[in-house]
Amino acid sequence: MNDLILIIEDDAAIAALLERSLKEHYKTLCAASLKEAKLLLQTHTPQLILLDLGLPDGDGKSLIPLLRRALQTPIIVVSARHEEREIVAALDLGADDYVTKPFSLVELMARVRRAQRRALMLSDDTPVLTCNDLTLDLERHRCILKEVPIKLTPTEFSLMRLFMAHQGQVLTHQQILKQVWGVGYQQGMQYLRSYINTLRKKIETDPARPRYIQTELGIGYRFCCHHEGV
Amino acid sequence: MLRRTTLLSIALLVLITAVSQVFKTQLELINIALIHLLPVMIIALRGVMSATMIITTATVILFDLLYVPPQYSFDVHDLIYIWSFIIFYLVGYIITLQAKRIRINEIRQTLLRTLSHDLKTPLSSIIGNASLLIQSPSDAEAQREIALQIQMSAQRMDRLIATLLDGTRLQHAQNALKFEWCDFEDLIGVALQEFSSPDQQYRLRIHVDAHLKLFWGDAGLLLRLIVNLIDNALKYAPDQTPITLRVTAQAHHVVLTLCNAGEPIPQAELSSIFDRFYHLEHSADIHGSGIGLSICKEIAQAHHGSIRAYNDPQGICFEVLFPIKRHPLELEERP
Repeated sequence: MNDLILIIEDDAAIAALLERSLKEHYKTLCAASLKEAKLLLQTHTPQLILLDLGLPDGDGKSLIPLLRRALQTPIIVVSARHEEREIVAALDLGADDYVTKPFSLVELMARVRRAQRRALMLSDDTPVLTCNDLTLDLERHRCILKEVPIKLTPTEFSLMRLFMAHQGQVLTHQQILKQVWGVGYQQGMQYLRSYINTLRKKIETDPARPRYIQTELGIGYRFCCHHEGV
Repeated sequence: MLRRTTLLSIALLVLITAVSQVFKTQLELINIALIHLLPVMIIALRGVMSATMIITTATVILFDLLYVPPQYSFDVHDLIYIWSFIIFYLVGYIITLQAKRIRINEIRQTLLRTLSHDLKTPLSSIIGNASLLIQSPSDAEAQREIALQIQMSAQRMDRLIATLLDGTRLQHAQNALKFEWCDFEDLIGVALQEFSSPDQQYRLRIHVDAHLKLFWGDAGLLLRLIVNLIDNALKYAPDQTPITLRVTAQAHHVVLTLCNAGEPIPQAELSSIFDRFYHLEHSADIHGSGIGLSICKEIAQAHHGSIRAYNDPQGICFEVLFPIKRHPLELEERP
C-alpha cells in the first residue's frame, strides 16, 4: 500500500509521532494550519485525513463540510477529551471517526485501517449482514445469534440493522435517533438508552461487559466485531 | 481536630463564667463583656457559621442572665445592652467570614501540593524511564519493559487529570452538571474498560439488578465515581481478591455497593476517609490520589445522594445511595 494520508495538526510533537507511526504503511503530508491544509488539498488527493480540531487559524471543524462537498475522503478527528460536544459536532458534520488525546497508536492505526476499508466498500446492499456469531437477514426479518434465532421488536430490529450496516463505526446519538426513530434528541435519548439496554440483554453474553455494542460516553455507540481488534 | 475548637470555646465559656462570678464585684460590666467576647472569637476562627452562632447565643444568654441587670432574668432594663448583644453576633460573623476565606486558601494550597505530588510521581517515572530508553539498552525485552512502565505511568496521570477536571466542574457550578437519562449497567461497562488487564477483569464481579430503570444523572460524573471506587478497591485490597460491584433498585433509591477484601478501617475513621486530605495526613501511601474518594462524595452529593463506608466480615464496603428524583416514561413499542 502506498496511500497518502494528510495530517492536519499544529502540535509538532504529535504531528511527528503520527508521521512516524504511519510512515511504515502510508505516505504522509503534514499541515500545521487550516490555510496550509487548504493549499495542500489543492495539489494533492489524500486517501485519508487526520484532523485536529484546535488549529491556530480557526476551527478544524470548518474544513469538514468543505471537504465533504468535494470528495468522500474519510476524516478522522483528533481531539482532546472533555470536548464531547466538539466531537459530536464534527461527526454530525460528516467526519468518519475520532480519537481523543492521549490516544494509543494501536487504536489509531486500527481506526485508520477501518476507515479506509469502509471507504472502499461504500455501497454494500447485501440482504444478509453478519458479525461474528450474529447474522441479520434483512429480507426475512430475522436475527440469529449462534444459530439460535432471537426475537427482536421492530425498533430493535432497525437498531440492529443500523449497527450491523456500520460495523466498527461510531454513530452519534443524533444519527441513530434520526435513522431509527426520526425524532429529535430531547425526546429520544431515553428511548435510545432503554433499547440499547434491552438489546444488550438479548445479544451480549455479559451485558455489563458488552462486546458488540460499545458505549462512547457523551458521543454515541460503536458496534464492534471483535476480530477487528479494538 | 475541628471539634477541639468547639470544646475549647465551651471550656473557656465555663471558665470565664466561673472567674466572672468570683470577681464580679471587682470587675466592671464592660470588662466582663469583653472577656465574654473571647469564646466567640475562638469559635469563629473555625470558620463554621452555625457553630459560631450557637456559641455566641450561649455566651449572650449567660451574659444576659448573670450580669446584665436585672440579674437572673432574660429581661433587659437598659436597651443599650441590646447593642452589646448585637456586637457579639457581629464580631462572630465577621471573624467567621474571614476564617472561612483563610481556610479556603489553605485548602487550595494543600490541594496544589497534593496535586503536584500526585502528578510528579508518575511524571518522574516517565522522565526516568525515557532517559533509560535514550541510553538504550540493546536488549529488546528490557526496552519493552521500560516502555510499558512509561505507558502505565502516563495512563495514571491521564486518569488523575480526568478526575481533576471533573472535580473542578463539580466545584465551580452546580448548573454545570449535565443531567440526562443514565443506564448504570452501561456506565459500569464503560468504567470496566479503564481496567483492562485480565487480572483486574477477573477480580471484578458485577451484579446489576435486572429491573433497574434509567437514572436521571450526570453520566460523566457517575462514571468517574464508579472508576474511582474500583480504582481505590484495586489499590487497597490484597492482590487476587475479588471486588464485587452491585447495583440494586429500591423503591426510592438506586444503591451502588462496592465490597472488597481490604483491611478493616477503624470505626472512627470511616467517615473521614471521604475528606479531601485524609490520605495526605494518615497514610504513607504515595501512589494514591488523595482526592479520589472525596470526589466520589461530591459526586454523590451533586445527585442529592450520600456515600458511606462500613466494615463487613469479608472486608470493606462502600455504599452510595442515589435518591430517585425523576422516573423515566414507560416505553411503548412503536412499530
